[in-house]
Amino acid sequence: MKYNPTYALILFFIISGVLYVLFRPAKGWFWIIKNNFKSNEKIVTEDILKQLYHFENSGNKVDTKTLLQVLDFNNNQIIEVVKKMTINDLIYFESDVLKLTNAGRDYALRIVRIHRLWERYLADKTGFSKEEWHDRAEMMEHKLNHDETNTLAAHLGNPKFDPHGDPIPTKTGKVAEVHGVELPLLPVNSIGRITHIEDEPEIIYKQILAENIHMGSLIRVVENNATRIVFLSEGEEFRLAPIVAANLTVAPIEKEIIIEDNIARLSSLKEDETAIITGISKESRGESRRRLLDLGFVKGATIKIDLINPLGEPNAYLIKGTSIALRKDQAAKILIKKD
Amino acid sequence: MANKNIDHILELSNELRWQIGDEFHDNLTEGIYADAAQIVSDTVQVDESKKRFRLDRQIDKIVTSKVFGFPIMFLILATVLWLTIIGANYPSSLLAQLLLDTFHPILKTGVAAINMPWWLSGFLIDGVYLAVAWVIAVMLPPMAIFFPMFTLLEDFGYLPRVAFNLDNLFKKSGAHGKQALTMTMGFGCNAAGVVATRIIDSPRERLIAIITNNFSLCNGRWPTQILIATIFIGAVVPSTFSSLASLLAVIVIAVLGMAFMFGTSWALSKTLLKGQVSTFNLELPPYRPPRFWKTIYTSLIDRTMIVLWRAIVFAAPAGAVIWLISNIYIGNESIAAWAIDSMNGFGFLLGLNGVILLAYIVAIPANEIVIPTILMLTVLVTGIDGGAGAGVMFELDSVNATGDILKAGGWTLLTAINLMLFSLLHNPCSTTIYTIYKETKSVKWTVFASIMPVILGFIVTFLVAQIWRIVF
Amino acid sequence: MDTKVKSACETCAHFNADGLKKMGIHTDNVDFVVALAGNPNTGKSTVFNSLTGLRQHTGNWPGKTVTRAEGGFEYNKQKYKLVDLPGTYSLLSTSEDEAAARDFILFGKPDVTVIVADANRLERNLNLVLQILEITDKAVLCLNLMDEAKRNHIIIDERTLARDLGIPVVATSARFSQGIPELIHTISEIANGNIICKPHRIKNVPSNIENAVKTLTAEIEKEFPNIPNSRWIAFRLLEGDTEIIKALKSGELV
Repeated sequence: MKYNPTYALILFFIISGVLYVLFRPAKGWFWIIKNNFKSNEKIVTEDILKQLYHFENSGNKVDTKTLLQVLDFNNNQIIEVVKKMTINDLIYFESDVLKLTNAGRDYALRIVRIHRLWERYLADKTGFSKEEWHDRAEMMEHKLNHDETNTLAAHLGNPKFDPHGDPIPTKTGKVAEVHGVELPLLPVNSIGRITHIEDEPEIIYKQILAENIHMGSLIRVVENNATRIVFLSEGEEFRLAPIVAANLTVAPIEKEIIIEDNIARLSSLKEDETAIITGISKESRGESRRRLLDLGFVKGATIKIDLINPLGEPNAYLIKGTSIALRKDQAAKILIKKD
Repeated sequence: MANKNIDHILELSNELRWQIGDEFHDNLTEGIYADAAQIVSDTVQVDESKKRFRLDRQIDKIVTSKVFGFPIMFLILATVLWLTIIGANYPSSLLAQLLLDTFHPILKTGVAAINMPWWLSGFLIDGVYLAVAWVIAVMLPPMAIFFPMFTLLEDFGYLPRVAFNLDNLFKKSGAHGKQALTMTMGFGCNAAGVVATRIIDSPRERLIAIITNNFSLCNGRWPTQILIATIFIGAVVPSTFSSLASLLAVIVIAVLGMAFMFGTSWALSKTLLKGQVSTFNLELPPYRPPRFWKTIYTSLIDRTMIVLWRAIVFAAPAGAVIWLISNIYIGNESIAAWAIDSMNGFGFLLGLNGVILLAYIVAIPANEIVIPTILMLTVLVTGIDGGAGAGVMFELDSVNATGDILKAGGWTLLTAINLMLFSLLHNPCSTTIYTIYKETKSVKWTVFASIMPVILGFIVTFLVAQIWRIVF
Repeated sequence: MDTKVKSACETCAHFNADGLKKMGIHTDNVDFVVALAGNPNTGKSTVFNSLTGLRQHTGNWPGKTVTRAEGGFEYNKQKYKLVDLPGTYSLLSTSEDEAAARDFILFGKPDVTVIVADANRLERNLNLVLQILEITDKAVLCLNLMDEAKRNHIIIDERTLARDLGIPVVATSARFSQGIPELIHTISEIANGNIICKPHRIKNVPSNIENAVKTLTAEIEKEFPNIPNSRWIAFRLLEGDTEIIKALKSGELV
């Protein structure tokens, strides 16, 4: 074949195109095919157990049909696996309804434990973004064995909760309790603390993330009706559709504590204002959180803006005699009380 | 005493940790700071009545202001680069005269007098000595000017303000504002730039800064860019504008390098490095007047000499290899000629040629010797007059004469443009590769940082060549 | 620029100027190992250089000294090796420099630890000081940048500070070599056991943590009766520090 620049260019684009289709992150054919080979009986079994466990917790009953709907596997394979699971005494039928045996529940708890530990690991020890935690944990929950899980737990300091606020079952199957109710159930003017943010379905979770709503924040409901729920938190107002708000769990606070109006996020501090730090949001995790604490962003410290950035961020804050620059997303996680 | 059984202690600590909850670190730090505050209130008195004039703050207001911040920054950095490039010319040519034009012939006569066999004198003097001398002549002056100036700015405390001003740009590409400084350091020397990434304490951003430092044109590559731009780009415009055009061309290449730096940083932070931990903190320390002579002394010793020494260590064997491949024959052809022949096809596809590719392979140790190697190899394969013999690198005083040799070697405007691009986008020099390994302690990232730019270089020069040929 | 000011102690009876020899990097057969710790930007490396006569480069820029620098000096015929640790804000995190500094003070068991603090930002610097005092009881606080503090009208009651911290405090301006002779003298006094420190222990710990720490400390002391810093080890165990767990298992800490 004789050289011709146009042909050379076309050939180049064809090769790049093929490589892209095969190897692009996550959706590349190569990865999909590789993963399909791994989708075996073990994964199907574990996913069924996990689903049953979640249904059981929410008090819903499951028959085979619902199971086929919620699980993303081949229907025949699911029916096949369900049969084997009844033989192995992991589940049993009560008329149409599928139920977990004690052995099945233990197994399910182990899977849930790995999933939540892994999310905790991703949150504390890696830089993966929140949107990715769930999917990565879904993969990992089928991979770790018992000993590896315990090593991981010890490495993380045996945490009680995952980053969304879900309790992590202990080695022995103890599960801490999550306090609170779904946000739409709270009447107007009630005060509470966000204790859990559900990460499924993904679309709603992403909406919550985009709103910049933080775990552990104190809120006060100011409006609650069929079309929207409005609440105040940390000096900002949030409006959510009820379906989105239902993914937030809030623990109502019984004692009459006053949410002070001047509690705000550091990001809202203006030049020439001074404030006292009241804490760091739970959204700041792992190494970043420790660094902030070590730098002196602790409860009770006085803070003010030292320098405004010409490009908008990061601004420099004067804290304990030193000027330290923080980006906006960091400043949004530091809570202050303005003077 | 070894292997104590402490399982019960660990078990207890796990149980207690569970009871305390996840606020241990918070509470402990708060406790320590509370103690600190108590002690300070007992012991420290600040006389607030004497109104403190904070000079620091006044300087900060100006150097980070919307109006003056960026002009001041560009002015300072441009001055540093300009002083480096222009100021290095004179000592460089002086050193070249001394080491290349004076010592080299003296050494040649010297060894001829003691009847050293031609191959040994060629190997030692034309190969090893010449490469080392070249690296010293081209590298030492700019570094001896650049590093002290940079260190003075650093000691004064200005550089953290640059990181502060520019952080938002870097944040958008997933990097850290301090990368602005390591990149600037890279304009002096990429190996030094890679070492400087230690100031970035977030693992992800530090890796990004290390991998992309090579996109800063280092002082070994500036002369190549300027020479080629003067010969080829300057020639296509009327002669009154030729120096302006060639200057612009070099600036375009440098800016292109920054564009590649931002693009690669962004891509890395979104793909390969997204799992690495990322934190941000930037302290703006008080300004302190640098101690001028001490700073100059230490920066010469710490940075210039160390980098120069490493470059020499790597350049010596490169000189030997260059001499050997030009003088060892397989059949009728020297290894060099044979290698050039076999790479000519690939080189053509990239709008380059076999000579350039071979020069870049053997000159991995030091970008400074690329042009002399290209000239020597061009003379070797074309058989035209000029040069000093097989394996003896040379450079000509006259830019025109250099251009004549290159044109005789088949160079066109496309070759020149692609050489400039390839000089920007190719593997880091071996000193830098070694430094990357020492800093990351990871073979994987070292290999990646070495290969990624050269693949980018292949793609870019290939695309430019094909489009050029279709258009013209 | 560097006018060397004769400090009071250089002529006083205690300090033996003839007994001082800066050894640079030649540190063979040393009698004592001295660690140099401190926050970034406190002039720590300047102190290092004035003690050893070396000229290590430092920038006005946190996190500059990442690799550990070593040097030495000889005072009254005893040889001291000085190890410059990376400048850190704290010893509690997992970052590389903090681990390096923490491990050296804990496992390297230096004979004296010199903590360099910026007199202008004492509160912030005490965070690190108080942590170090949980690990070692042979320490001296070098209150540096006194010249700047004077300009800022900051007055520090060094005697009260020394009493509160339970360790000697030496005020210095290392840039002008002020206070360095006193510092050297104090280091030698601690190294030779002439000064016994009673370091401050962190007090404001919430009761639930304090109780947990007490329980754990008792358990650790039962297993390792001679351990000097059981409280710090309890802190680290509660934090889940795997290095400490490894070291406890191998008995390296005793």
